[in-house]
Amino acid sequence: MEEKVLEILEEYCEEALSYDGDSMMEDGIIDSFTVINIVSELEEEFDIEIDAKYVVAENFKNKEAIIALVERLLEE
Amino acid sequence: MGERFERVVVIGYGKAAGNILKYIEKQRTIYGYNLEFIEHEMHALGITKQICEETGISYACMPDKRELAAYLCAVTEKTLIVSASNNFLFPVQCVEKQNITIINFHNALLPEYPGRNAPSWVIYMGEQETGITWHYVTAGIDEGNIIIQKRCGIGPEDKAYELTQRLMDLACEGFEESFAAVLEERVETKSQGEISGRRMYRSYEVPGEGFFTLDQEPEAVYRLLRSVDYGKNDIFPHLQTVVDGERVEVIRYRKIVPEKKKDEANVVYLPLGEKHFLKIKYRIL
Repeated sequence: MEEKVLEILEEYCEEALSYDGDSMMEDGIIDSFTVINIVSELEEEFDIEIDAKYVVAENFKNKEAIIALVERLLEE
Repeated sequence: MGERFERVVVIGYGKAAGNILKYIEKQRTIYGYNLEFIEHEMHALGITKQICEETGISYACMPDKRELAAYLCAVTEKTLIVSASNNFLFPVQCVEKQNITIINFHNALLPEYPGRNAPSWVIYMGEQETGITWHYVTAGIDEGNIIIQKRCGIGPEDKAYELTQRLMDLACEGFEESFAAVLEERVETKSQGEISGRRMYRSYEVPGEGFFTLDQEPEAVYRLLRSVDYGKNDIFPHLQTVVDGERVEVIRYRKIVPEKKKDEANVVYLPLGEKHFLKIKYRIL
C-alpha cells in the first residue's frame, strides 16, 4: 500500500517524497488542486471513498500523514 | 490622478486571493497604503490566514454577510477593495460610496457567463476557450466596465477544478499587469456593451440539472461529469442517473483504456471514442 501511495505522490508532487517537514500546504509543496488529484488517485487505486472531512491540511501535512490516512480508511 | 488610496482591502479565498495578497503586500512600499485581508468563506485547505500571519497583514474573519456589509459601509478612507474569488455580493450602499472603488475577478470572459461557477458552464457547453475578467464592481452582478481580460483554451479532458486553477493563475497575471493603473486611476476601461437579458448563472443551477441517462452520448456525459468536478469541494451535488431501474449517484468517474476494465460492483462503463471507456462508479440511492 505504502509503495502505491508513494507512486501517486511521485506522479503529482515529487517534492513530497523528500519533504521532511510537517506542513506541505503551508510550505508550498502542495496546493489544494494537487490534493484533489492525489485524493482522486488514492480513491481509484484503493477503491476507497475519502470523505471531504478527511481532506484537511493535517491529513496532507507530509507523506507519512497521507499513508496513515489511507491505512485508516482501508481498515474501516 | 486624484488623492491616493489610503487603504486596500482584499476579500476572497483560494490560490488567487493568496497570490494577489502577496503581490499587493509587495507593492505597499511603493504606494504606502494600509492593507488588510477579510476572509468571508473559510476553506479547509485555505492558506490566506497563514500568509497574513507571516507577512503581518491585518486579518479578519467575517463569515456573516451583514457584519461584512456593515464593516465595509463604515469605511471612511479612500479605499480600494479587491474581490478575488469572492462570492459576497457587495451591497449597493457600499458600491455607491464615493470613497470606495471595488474591482472583482470573474472567471470567464465577460459579458459571457456572468454569475456563479462559470468554469463549469463553459465546460458543459463545450466551449473551446474561456478566460478571466477583472472589472469594476457596480450595483449589477458582473456588469461593470472591464479593466483587463486574459484568455485560455479549454482542453478536451479539462475538469472544472483544473480549469479553475488555470483561471486563478491567469487572474494573478492580469492583476499584476493592471494593479498600478487601478491604483493610479488611469485604467482605460472597456464597456461590456449591451448586457440586458443575458443569461445569469445562479448558484443553485447545476449543469444538466444534475442528471444524465446512460443512453446519452458518452462524450456529453463525460463533459457533464468534468463540468461539475471540483474534487471534494461540494459546489454541486453528486450527479445522478438510473442504472437497472434504480436511481444512483455518481461517486467518481474516470476515462480508462480497455485493459483497465474489470468486473466491479456498482460500476458502469460507457464506450468513449474508439480507444477508451468512461468508468462511472456509483452508489444506489
